[in-house]
Amino acid sequence: MPFELMDLGLVDYEKALDLQQQYVTQKKNKALETDMILMLEHPAVFTLGKRGGRENLMVSEDFLKEQKVPVVQTGRGGNITFHGPGQLVVYPIMDLDRAGMGVADFVHLLEEIMIQMAGDVGVTARRSSANHGIWVENRKLGSIGLSITRGISFHGLALNANVDLTPFSWVNPCGLSGVSMTSLENELQQKSPKGSISMPVVKESFVRHFTRAIKST
Amino acid sequence: MKEINELNLPENLKYSKDHEWVGVEGDVATIGINDYAQDQLGEVVFVEVPEVGDTFDAEDEFGTVESVKAVSELYCPIAGEVVAINEDLEDAPELVNESPYEKGWIMKIKVADASELDNLMDKAAYFEMLKG
Repeated sequence: MPFELMDLGLVDYEKALDLQQQYVTQKKNKALETDMILMLEHPAVFTLGKRGGRENLMVSEDFLKEQKVPVVQTGRGGNITFHGPGQLVVYPIMDLDRAGMGVADFVHLLEEIMIQMAGDVGVTARRSSANHGIWVENRKLGSIGLSITRGISFHGLALNANVDLTPFSWVNPCGLSGVSMTSLENELQQKSPKGSISMPVVKESFVRHFTRAIKST
Repeated sequence: MKEINELNLPENLKYSKDHEWVGVEGDVATIGINDYAQDQLGEVVFVEVPEVGDTFDAEDEFGTVESVKAVSELYCPIAGEVVAINEDLEDAPELVNESPYEKGWIMKIKVADASELDNLMDKAAYFEMLKG
């Protein structure tokens, strides 16, 4: 199964969505055989799931305007979440039917990749039986929210590398109350105040684990 | 996730490649998602259903299922006009997981062309498709 990994850098949410939809359309029309794996970061933005999540926003829209953080409606699964620089976002536009993968298989694969990426830098992450995503104890490190159309996946995963975690405190992340968000850097700093993480290292780790995971399916 | 041989796939139903099931009585077909689809999706939190009177061709999108993992489209296995929808799913979408072939049915359509049923798979053929 041919695939291409693209590093797009910092991309506006809507622009990235347009690009995903173009690739999805091309793949639906069989005009594009290659699965396109988009790696990027978004400027600060809150996104709502298909059925919203605005009720989990704990600050006023005026406050968000002052902070210059827009709120965007999306068609993915899941509830409200935050994206910002320092968070690795990956949008895999993949033909799951061709790969013989169901949704659960694919989610499991993406979760496994995030767990391995955390392990690469010495952070022990795991799945939770109660909630989806990737966790370090009761702190959420990574999220998954997919859409599937005609067997083609879009939207994807978000892994907190060294993103500013403050805006997560303005919402109940993913509609869950009583949990907190974390990042790889935040976890490393629990062990050593000088702990830090760089996005190129995180991206390289994703490429390595993704490539190995896809080749073994 | 269930193993393929653990799936509950009733003999008396037809199956589409998109993992819907079809049960026919007279000229009315009841449609839902099968045990494989509900298991893959995980806990269903919302089902977007069509309206009575809507008409679909085979393979048209007729709704979506949202689970904790993903939003997936539903495709109409055969052409027809919607004569009933399962209103219970609005308050209890988890019926799709708990009872995919009975309480978790999604819609009933008046079959436009009964010969299209021949394009669907029986249990054995669907099972073979899943095994790849």
